[in-house]
Amino acid sequence: MNSTQSLATVSLAVEPETIRAYAALTDDFNPIHLDPVFAATTPMGGVIAHGTMSICLLWQMLEHNLGAAAFAAPDLDVRFLKPVRAGEVLTAGGALSVGDPCVYDVWVRGTDGGDRVVGTLRLAPRTHVTATEGGTQ
Amino acid sequence: MKPTITFDDFQPGQVLGEAVSTFDDSMTQGWQQIFGVPEAGPGTAPAEGASLAVVLMMRAYCSVVTPRPPGNVHARQRFVLHDIPQPGESIHTVVACAGKEIKRERRYVELRTEGHGCDGRPLFTGDMTLVWAR
Repeated sequence: MNSTQSLATVSLAVEPETIRAYAALTDDFNPIHLDPVFAATTPMGGVIAHGTMSICLLWQMLEHNLGAAAFAAPDLDVRFLKPVRAGEVLTAGGALSVGDPCVYDVWVRGTDGGDRVVGTLRLAPRTHVTATEGGTQ
Repeated sequence: MKPTITFDDFQPGQVLGEAVSTFDDSMTQGWQQIFGVPEAGPGTAPAEGASLAVVLMMRAYCSVVTPRPPGNVHARQRFVLHDIPQPGESIHTVVACAGKEIKRERRYVELRTEGHGCDGRPLFTGDMTLVWAR
């Protein structure tokens, strides 16, 4: 990754009950998340976690590193590269992107260390000043 | 009973509908069951509030775009958070079809969601790309 200042990581264990709880929270009961028999017939080959669960973990990582000030109009753009399986521990992190002081390269990785979600997070310039000075608000 | 929405049904530019959802205690409890109770003081912690904005987006999508074929997969998501929803607030979310295309034999549908608070202030804009199953 072409980045410098790293963000401290935040993790979440994804168990079958985590996926069921997230389905209930979002009203998203797509059987690809809940039904092993159906999910096995899809290109995913089995049950996968909801993609936006990883986005929630990225928000937690953002708050952990940069505090409330980072939530002044954050613009997150991510691609879901590989499915997240039950039993994995997800880890969200990122680093300041080279060439644009308001943008972080962010990622969510699985237990094997491979990328599950990658993308960019653009913060308001005021937030950037706080971040590059190493503090939080 | 409505027929399942297929790829052919989507018309780019078409508003698909609006959902109203209340940010209530059950949402907070549901989120905290998964991610834990924030250490922050009184009020909604920013990560929790931002996450519940994402949850509201997904609820609106699931409410408006239904019935869906089983097996759809989320491929990409852009999410701009304009403001954090407040507990007890009713959030209005409009869902529209922003585009669709077939690439490498996969059916991609792009949906835009725009959420507003009870006072009309913008809360979020979401651009969701899904691989549609049928």
